[in-house]
Amino acid sequence: MPGFKIVTNPADLVYLYDGSLAGFFCCVHRSFYERELPIDILPEAADQPSIYPRAYISTDQAKAEAVRASIVKNLSDRVIELTEHVFLCHHPHKEQKLLRFLIFAFGIGPKAAYMLGEDAVADVLEMEKHLLGEVHLLRGFIRFADYGEMLGGVITPKNFVLPLLAAHFANRFPNENFMIYDKTHKAVLAFQGGKLEITMVEEVEFSQPSEDELRFQSMWKNFYKTIGIEERVNPRCRMGHMPKRYWQNMTEMREYL
Amino acid sequence: MDIMQKLTILADSAKYDAACTSSGVTRGGPPGGKGMGSAVPDGICHSFSADGRCITLLKVLMSNACAYDCKYCVNRSSNDVPRATFTPDELAELTIQFYRRNYIEGLFLSSGVVRNPDYTSEQMIRVLALLRYEHHFWGYIHAKVIPGTASGLVRRLGQLADRISVNVELPSEASLSTLAPQKKRKAIFTPMAEIKQGIAVSQTDIVRYKHAENFAPGGQATQMIIGATPESDYNILRLASGLYTKYDLRRVFYSAYIPTVTDTMLPAVDTKPPLLREHRLYQADWLMRQYQFDAEEILSEAQPNFNPYLDPKCNWAVNNLHFFPVDVNTASFQALLRVPGIGPKSAKAIVIARRHSHIGMSQLKRIGVVLKRAKYFILTDDLPCGIRLNKQTMAKALIDPGSFSLGVEQLSLFDRPELKFLTDTKAPAIQEVREEAATCLASKL
Ligand code: SF4
Repeated sequence: MPGFKIVTNPADLVYLYDGSLAGFFCCVHRSFYERELPIDILPEAADQPSIYPRAYISTDQAKAEAVRASIVKNLSDRVIELTEHVFLCHHPHKEQKLLRFLIFAFGIGPKAAYMLGEDAVADVLEMEKHLLGEVHLLRGFIRFADYGEMLGGVITPKNFVLPLLAAHFANRFPNENFMIYDKTHKAVLAFQGGKLEITMVEEVEFSQPSEDELRFQSMWKNFYKTIGIEERVNPRCRMGHMPKRYWQNMTEMREYL
Repeated sequence: MDIMQKLTILADSAKYDAACTSSGVTRGGPPGGKGMGSAVPDGICHSFSADGRCITLLKVLMSNACAYDCKYCVNRSSNDVPRATFTPDELAELTIQFYRRNYIEGLFLSSGVVRNPDYTSEQMIRVLALLRYEHHFWGYIHAKVIPGTASGLVRRLGQLADRISVNVELPSEASLSTLAPQKKRKAIFTPMAEIKQGIAVSQTDIVRYKHAENFAPGGQATQMIIGATPESDYNILRLASGLYTKYDLRRVFYSAYIPTVTDTMLPAVDTKPPLLREHRLYQADWLMRQYQFDAEEILSEAQPNFNPYLDPKCNWAVNNLHFFPVDVNTASFQALLRVPGIGPKSAKAIVIARRHSHIGMSQLKRIGVVLKRAKYFILTDDLPCGIRLNKQTMAKALIDPGSFSLGVEQLSLFDRPELKFLTDTKAPAIQEVREEAATCLASKL
């Protein structure tokens, strides 16, 4: 089923919006409605002086809902999922790439998300892959320490991965309280009394680890050292699987930095 | 002895075991609301050790105070090494504490033979039962079955663990009886057959009843040591292929032999582990499991050992040039899989993408096909008669860079006349070796 073709003309204009997904959907609404393809779409906070005129797109829940409903109706749930995923990526022009993808997708119909050879599609899939790859690595690389009343860990990811890590750890540790502090995005995922919450914060200070905690940390470090086979040492291979940027938050790796 | 010392000794004795995966099981969370633990189908790596291997499970022995005297093993009874044994409580507690801190996906438990196989297995079962029923731990557990364990105990292990394995240890019965005389062939294959049976029953029961008994949902695996004994790669691959069919194994692991003890029947202690050979075996194994290759297509009586310069798939391709070129817009999924540079993922993507539009080189690149290799074997819209370049260029593109990253010295392990020049003291620089390999290959194309 072919969708409806959206003709947009390149416009010398930058859209600014509030950085929320609803806000982005309103940018999509404006672009389709005005038939214009902005040069870029930026969250207000990331705006930098430039020669192009700005258009501030205010967030209107009704418009955002209309765009979402139209994607579900004319495209597919997979496109919604893809959009939500890409929206968590750190790519500086993710909004622009998403808009280009949506314009393309509406012109083609539901099968658009599977046209892997197309630039507009491949670009967003690439971003999603990067995001999901980071999520997968962090499921393994996060290190918790036991602070008595809860387990706590720190991450410094490129993408905003907390929403995609939440269910995994909540399912795994339903009877623990834990928090994961995302230092890059200044956000905390907290799981307390069985309830999940993500909040934005300035800074999180962890208390000093207890004797017992330090004992387990040193046993883990010791295990890590012991398990490597000297005759097979292969730093390139290790780095390929576990890039250095993760090491700072890993109990056993910090000392190798 | 404190638990830190025990951990060091018992992790050190377990480190040569190659199998460390936590895949094949899906469990959303602890059943019944108590405790902790889940499992994801692809497994999760929690760290990578200095040798670049994935660390996913707490891999330890229950005890290294072994009564057996397998010649190739550090823990053999005649070797003078420090001995330690975990109590079941210690090990269960350690697993839980590591798991809560997200260090591991679960436990990989093996053991030397303490007194006898049954006694050892009982100790291991106590650890697993403590974890499952006292701590309500539902993370991943891989347990090794000691050859010769009574069938009731094998059952119990299968009910408690996600994956169980019996090591075949060495690739032939002759080698087994010279190097591990206390391990009889029958003692290995009897539990293997029982496990196969247990898994089969639990799977049909799961179809029939809701509350069917769980039995090693992650399947059965095994491992063998490569390079301690004289079997050819072809022998090893055929053995693996036979094990896959006969015992429905999920995985066969290959472990390059690292000499730790001196013995006239074993390679000298300064022998380098055959890492390239091990790497080729994993590649070939992967071809059998994921690409529908037969062992006989990969190696043969006439070519019983791997080509050091080409991965097994490229090797098959250059020996079967009549099969190519493959037209990416029309070829079957199976035919696409035979093209060097196209894997299962990209073959699937090609099949999906070509339903919607014709495929050319740029689309293939987008899809993730390694064009550097694939382009010599395919036809596309914008490359209708295949690429014809000079053979030297093609040969260079096909040579496996992995052959060289594992170090030129690895190649000497192949110890074949045509490779003798590599072991010369005046060994040519890698670049030159590469050129020479390319020329040699080009002449065959
Ligand atoms: S049974 Fe053999 S291989 Fe296993 S620990 Fe004892 S000596 Fe080593």
